Amino acid sequence: MSSRKGQKDAARVVREQLARERRRKRTLWVSVAAVAVLVVAGLIGWSVYSSQRSDDFTAPTGSNEAGTGVVAGSGPVTVDVYEDFLCPACKQFKQASSPAIDQLVSEGKIRVVYHPVAYLNRYSSTQYSTRSSAASGCAAEGGRYREYARALFDRQPPQGGAGLSDEELVDIAAGVGLDRDGFASCLREGTFKPWTEHVTEEASKANIASTPTILVDGEEIADRSPEGIRAAVQAAGR
Amino acid sequence: MIVTAPHSRVARWPAIRPWLGVAVRLGLATVWLVAGGSKVGDLAASGRAVNAYQVMPYDLATVIGAALPFVELALGLLLLLGLATRLSAGVSAALLVVFVAGIVSAWSRGLAIDCGCFGAGGELAAGQTPSYLPEILRDLGFLALAGFLLIWPRTPVSVDGWLAGDASVEDDDE
Repeated sequence: MSSRKGQKDAARVVREQLARERRRKRTLWVSVAAVAVLVVAGLIGWSVYSSQRSDDFTAPTGSNEAGTGVVAGSGPVTVDVYEDFLCPACKQFKQASSPAIDQLVSEGKIRVVYHPVAYLNRYSSTQYSTRSSAASGCAAEGGRYREYARALFDRQPPQGGAGLSDEELVDIAAGVGLDRDGFASCLREGTFKPWTEHVTEEASKANIASTPTILVDGEEIADRSPEGIRAAVQAAGR
Repeated sequence: MIVTAPHSRVARWPAIRPWLGVAVRLGLATVWLVAGGSKVGDLAASGRAVNAYQVMPYDLATVIGAALPFVELALGLLLLLGLATRLSAGVSAALLVVFVAGIVSAWSRGLAIDCGCFGAGGELAAGQTPSYLPEILRDLGFLALAGFLLIWPRTPVSVDGWLAGDASVEDDDE
């Protein structure tokens, strides 16, 4: 074996080792950079969200103590209604069952808490769920949540569109006897948008996964028909 | 084994694999970009979607929900560039496994939720019933893409290849 060939072989081995070492280092740094990118991305998301959140909210007149809903009646049994003004099933529920609920309220049997959650913003191009919920806060401030909510459901826009315009929301308010100018400025200033956010967040915290959800004394009821509600209220009242 | 295999197939796979790899990489990148992009506009809803699975406290769910869309976008970007492809594929696979586990667990607990996979979900729209099985199958498909890139991370037109200089060199890194 000639020493020259030996030297060549040794040089090749060293070169290969150096190349491997370089590759290893490169991989390490690329990986570190990629992980850093992912971590920074996550932190950006968190900080954007934190800056978007508003902790301060004003609940409208007639809200419950926690500011998570608008109260009607003062009966011994509490009925929680979670509704989104863009949700067609909520409209059906409202049209089928609200007379029964209103009657139970006037009979003094129940206390209803309406939670106008903004769950379905992704089904409109203008955040209609948030806008309509904030509008319902303005209506509650004027003492007419139930009338306004009923009217909103009667004129429910289809999912996937722009929803009702602010002018239409004001017109409906005037139609149920609310002061047009006061309502319009409440809506324009977004007075109850933080409240809507609070209502929605608290509903999510309470594991309300879909609308409408009806709780009778804290228990979700499966049968949302007028008869089902009466039966559940009667059972809870015993 | 090479000797016994039909010649055409042996010749075809090495020629096809790199370009199939590009398609897979760009496909997975698109998945993440669309998934992240659809959630990034409403971070609060994204948090609610995570919370709807009821596997963690609400406050943690909102943090994860806010971070996730951005992480998804970043993953999509890394895969689009072909930078740290193997690592990105590994993270993708890990995330997808977590997503599948979440959906299976929601299903088995009888929760009626929207997976929130594309577009912040959580809550079902009216009259919608959960479509857990298609969601799981879809995620498994994405998992297969990630698996391909874990095994063969080196693809043409990638920053990894450019950094390595010679793309024809087979190395095990990235």
